[in-house]
Amino acid sequence: MTRADLVAVILAVALLPVLYLHFWSGGGFAEQVRIQEGNQPPHYYSLARDQRIRVHGPLGDSVLEILHGRVRFVSSPCRNKICVHSGWLSRAGESTACLPNRVSVQIIGQDPRFDAINS
Amino acid sequence: MTAEDPLPTPAAPRTDGYPEPESIRTTREDHRIAWLAALAIAIHIAEAALPSPLPGIKPGLANVVTIAALVRFGWGTAAWISLLRVLMGSLLLGTFLSPTFMLSLSGALASVATLGLASRLPGAGFGPIGYSVLAAMAHMAGQFTVAYYVFIRHPALLHLVPILMTAAVIFGLVSGIIVLMMLQQMRSPQS
Repeated sequence: MTRADLVAVILAVALLPVLYLHFWSGGGFAEQVRIQEGNQPPHYYSLARDQRIRVHGPLGDSVLEILHGRVRFVSSPCRNKICVHSGWLSRAGESTACLPNRVSVQIIGQDPRFDAINS
Repeated sequence: MTAEDPLPTPAAPRTDGYPEPESIRTTREDHRIAWLAALAIAIHIAEAALPSPLPGIKPGLANVVTIAALVRFGWGTAAWISLLRVLMGSLLLGTFLSPTFMLSLSGALASVATLGLASRLPGAGFGPIGYSVLAAMAHMAGQFTVAYYVFIRHPALLHLVPILMTAAVIFGLVSGIIVLMMLQQMRSPQS
């Protein structure tokens, strides 16, 4: 076993914890958000990438924001702003919608939580 | 080693009036590659019969032949053996041009390229263990890159990277130790 071998093996073994930390931390990065406008086919966005999304509805543009794995309505041209008041969505299965502007948002993930419980 | 066999004698000249066929000249190097590639293919096929806990994880013992050839005969021989093994292995297993073959080929190309770079390293250079670990990791990385970007581009697949790489490092070490022991046996005088 040469010195170069030793260096290669040590580097290889040292790389493994880095890989585990990088690919296994955070957990929820595989999650996506589904945004649908009216009867249009839904669009999917990754929650891993922070961005603002403008959705064009019958009343005007609804603005959504993805930040740190969460999503919310920033503004919507509706009257009572229920969608904006519902705040951040972060868990798989959570959803909200701006019914007047016909925009619906749902987080989809690997282990969706219950969206309703029937006793 | 059968590589020391004499070259086959050329066929006797034809007497039936037909033109002399162009004979393919084979060198000792060609015969060595053929023998070693045959050995690697046999190991490859035997290994294909083993069950695997995860697609993409297998011991890769055929690489023992590649690494030993690299150390003994140089990179050219090793590259031939590796690529012939992938081609013939896929033809014999019926996976030629299938996704399995693409993954196998991309892994082999990545590891052959890495070995090429590693064997040109100035200084003391690598021994079998270093080569083997580097080749196994390059193989896995190349294979995974193709699997991810060409076949299944799903973020969940990335969760597999640490597991696959751990397997690559372990199996690379094991193969490297096998090569080291094998070369020591070959170097020691016959008892």
